[in-house]
Amino acid sequence: MSPPSELDAWLRAAQKGDQAAFAQVFDHCYGTMYRYALKWSGNVADAEDITQVASIKLAKSIGQFQFDAAFTTWLYRLVVNTAIDWQRSNQRHHPVAQAETIEPETGDSQAGFNGVLLQQLIARVAELGEGFREAVILVLGEGFSHREAAEVLAVQESTISWRIHQVRKVLTEQLGGDHE
Amino acid sequence: MSNSDQPFNDLEKLLQTTPEPAKDAREKARRLAMQAFAESHAEAGESALAGNNKPTQTSAEAESVEIKDRQGFWPRLRQTLTQQLTEVFDMKKQWLVSGAFASVSLIAVTFVLVRVTQPELITTAPGVERERVLEEVVVAAEPAPGREAPEMAEAMADVSAGPSEADLAARASVERQRQAEIVMAQRKQAEERKMVMAAPSQSPLVTSMPAPMLMEDNAIVPPASGLAGDDEFNELDSNPVQRVAESPVSTFSVDVDTASYSFVRRMLNNGVLPQKDAVRLEEMVNYFDYQYPLPESKKVPFSTSVVVQDSPWRAGNKLIQIGIKGYELPREQLPKSNLVFLLDVSGSMSQPDKLPLVKQSMELLLSQLNQDDSVAIVVYAGAAGTVLEPTAVREREKIVQALNQLTAGGSTAGGEGIQLAYQLAESQYDDKAVNRVILATDGDFNVGITDHSALTDFIERKRDKGIYLSVLGFGQGNYHDNLMQNLAQNGNGVAAYIDTLSEAQKVLVHQATSTLFTIAKDVKIQVEFNPVTVAEYRLLGFESRLLKQEDFNNDKVDAGDIGAGHTVTAIYEITPVGSDSSLIDDSRYQPGEQPVADKGDEYGFLKLRYKLPGDDNSQLIQQPILIKGGNTSELLRREANFATAVAGFAQLLRGGQYTGNWSYDDALGLAQANKGDDAYGYRTEFVQLVRKAKLAKGM
Repeated sequence: MSPPSELDAWLRAAQKGDQAAFAQVFDHCYGTMYRYALKWSGNVADAEDITQVASIKLAKSIGQFQFDAAFTTWLYRLVVNTAIDWQRSNQRHHPVAQAETIEPETGDSQAGFNGVLLQQLIARVAELGEGFREAVILVLGEGFSHREAAEVLAVQESTISWRIHQVRKVLTEQLGGDHE
Repeated sequence: MSNSDQPFNDLEKLLQTTPEPAKDAREKARRLAMQAFAESHAEAGESALAGNNKPTQTSAEAESVEIKDRQGFWPRLRQTLTQQLTEVFDMKKQWLVSGAFASVSLIAVTFVLVRVTQPELITTAPGVERERVLEEVVVAAEPAPGREAPEMAEAMADVSAGPSEADLAARASVERQRQAEIVMAQRKQAEERKMVMAAPSQSPLVTSMPAPMLMEDNAIVPPASGLAGDDEFNELDSNPVQRVAESPVSTFSVDVDTASYSFVRRMLNNGVLPQKDAVRLEEMVNYFDYQYPLPESKKVPFSTSVVVQDSPWRAGNKLIQIGIKGYELPREQLPKSNLVFLLDVSGSMSQPDKLPLVKQSMELLLSQLNQDDSVAIVVYAGAAGTVLEPTAVREREKIVQALNQLTAGGSTAGGEGIQLAYQLAESQYDDKAVNRVILATDGDFNVGITDHSALTDFIERKRDKGIYLSVLGFGQGNYHDNLMQNLAQNGNGVAAYIDTLSEAQKVLVHQATSTLFTIAKDVKIQVEFNPVTVAEYRLLGFESRLLKQEDFNNDKVDAGDIGAGHTVTAIYEITPVGSDSSLIDDSRYQPGEQPVADKGDEYGFLKLRYKLPGDDNSQLIQQPILIKGGNTSELLRREANFATAVAGFAQLLRGGQYTGNWSYDDALGLAQANKGDDAYGYRTEFVQLVRKAKLAKGM
């Protein structure tokens, strides 16, 4: 992460069309977007696709960022929405996306990342309704406060708290027994 | 924590691991992003359409984006597309739409061709976009081979009412292309909205601030059926079945809006089922004009007719249809109109289906006005401004010129614009005339009065002073239906959604008098069902218009208005006592109904309250709903059947909770058989729409 003032300067320069500055912004953002996408989709190939689409979106819409809000919020919003759009367009060709078998992850770069279990858990969370998956990733994964997550997802803070509570409750009740 | 917390802890732990992205994927994304960045800066100023259409050397790199599962798709796509194009060009001869409209469509078709024959040239977000293009083309191509000869003839005839399916789908793909940009534009506006909230306000009307947060709540959640962008609709649950024994009285306000139908049509024309909340049954039904008997005298400004028929979707049930027909004002009796056009010219309005269509629509409306009526034009974007001071319609040239000079650009200062428009309307206020502000927008208000309740309060106060507001919605992608409805309801006006020039024709020419002249206001309907004859009832639609029982006689409670010549149809589905089609079991403990002497031939009693314009006291009309149904003419039955088909279709689109096995085919058959004369082709268009829904459903 770069100091905010430096990022600010890059952003302003990028908005004026400075390529080098945009490259800096991109480097600053890619990891964040990828991390979110990976947690969201639970598999590397999808995460790469999503991040790629988000990267292009970032390039096209960087000029629209207003400095009144935190850039992080804006960036997460971008990738949150990209992921949703991506799934929506993907589902229409794979209506049973959830039932798809998951290729076991290979490749050393993913060591320690248990995609299959994450995917299963995330799928449970997603079943609870819209916005649950996003809330859980932002709060548990990205360390957002409920208020910050609420801002990214444009809902009330209490909604986030409720979603997290719900996830804990459902996972505990439904799956708790399996892990004795 | 105990073991049972394990899954949650697992999830937390998994989410906290942060694997590094693969280098090559990152490099590829970086290259594409840099390229998109360069292109979007090079293209600044060019229209989105031209920009994306132009193949460039660098964008060929985008081809390297991996797209899975698409082997063999391209050849197939090319084939369907060629077929489709041939069809489109054959049909072209039949197009009776305006030149401008046709040329827009042609551009779109060419555009798709370029994209398909040279897939490697697609520059933006390729994965998503390509799939969308594919989707549209496949959907559009499908109906052609399956169409039988007589239907084909009809389809040809239909073209006069609007563009062909293929054409629309092709145009839709262009729209999709822009969708991402629209979404981003809206986010930007959302950001701006916040900025305004933070800034100290000079406007006395900006009092409290919580509203925008609520709006954004919807903005981020994708609608169920997808692809609808960030159009906002209030959540809507269908009215439940009520037991007459428990709640015998049903009260609601009339609704003459038609926006929902136009929006649904647009979605279906794009090959997509509309989101459930976008389907408001009463607006679908009331989109159509029904030939109910004319009112006998001007004193009672409308007629009421009741038709009782069997329910097509549930054996044993009956449908009670209440039809209201407003008094037609002869042209020479029309009061003078003082209109203020309040036009949104913000950047988001630059698409062909927005500002250009607004201009054409306003010109159409102009043609309906009398020479001594007056028109003023206020625009709003970054700042609001008066483009045209109140000008008599006889100076048509001047008005048209002012309209033609408008261009879109800047953000949306809707609130400020509204204030300015009302100031102008007040400056020329004439208590014998119709004083009305006509707002044309895609629905974003983010500067000025940003608090929606302050905005609606403002409109309400002006309404009480005699200045009304009608709202014409345009465009798609960030259409704020909820706000538009709200504004029009509070302004005693109509909310219509204009997606095509022919819709503008309907709202502003064929129905100009109903759109402009209110003949009765605060029209409320109350039905008391007879527990001796009716076990259960359900009101179809009007969910957003329900009133409390006590509101009926309270003249302070605002309700819907009826314009000159308007028809309003309300439908109840009832289960007669003794029929086995009821959904709710009998109560074990409540005693059975006590028979009321000699009322056994009535299903219920209909009461209707209304105020004449300019009167604060309501009048009452009442009549029993007879089981025998009275003398129902063949014509009335046909009209009722068509309304039933529309109501059934709307229910199917909303998920068909109460319609059992009744299908799109049944809706099709019923509508087809009851089209009547259909002078303007609206009902034929409906039949086409049902077909499209069937196809969209099969996707």
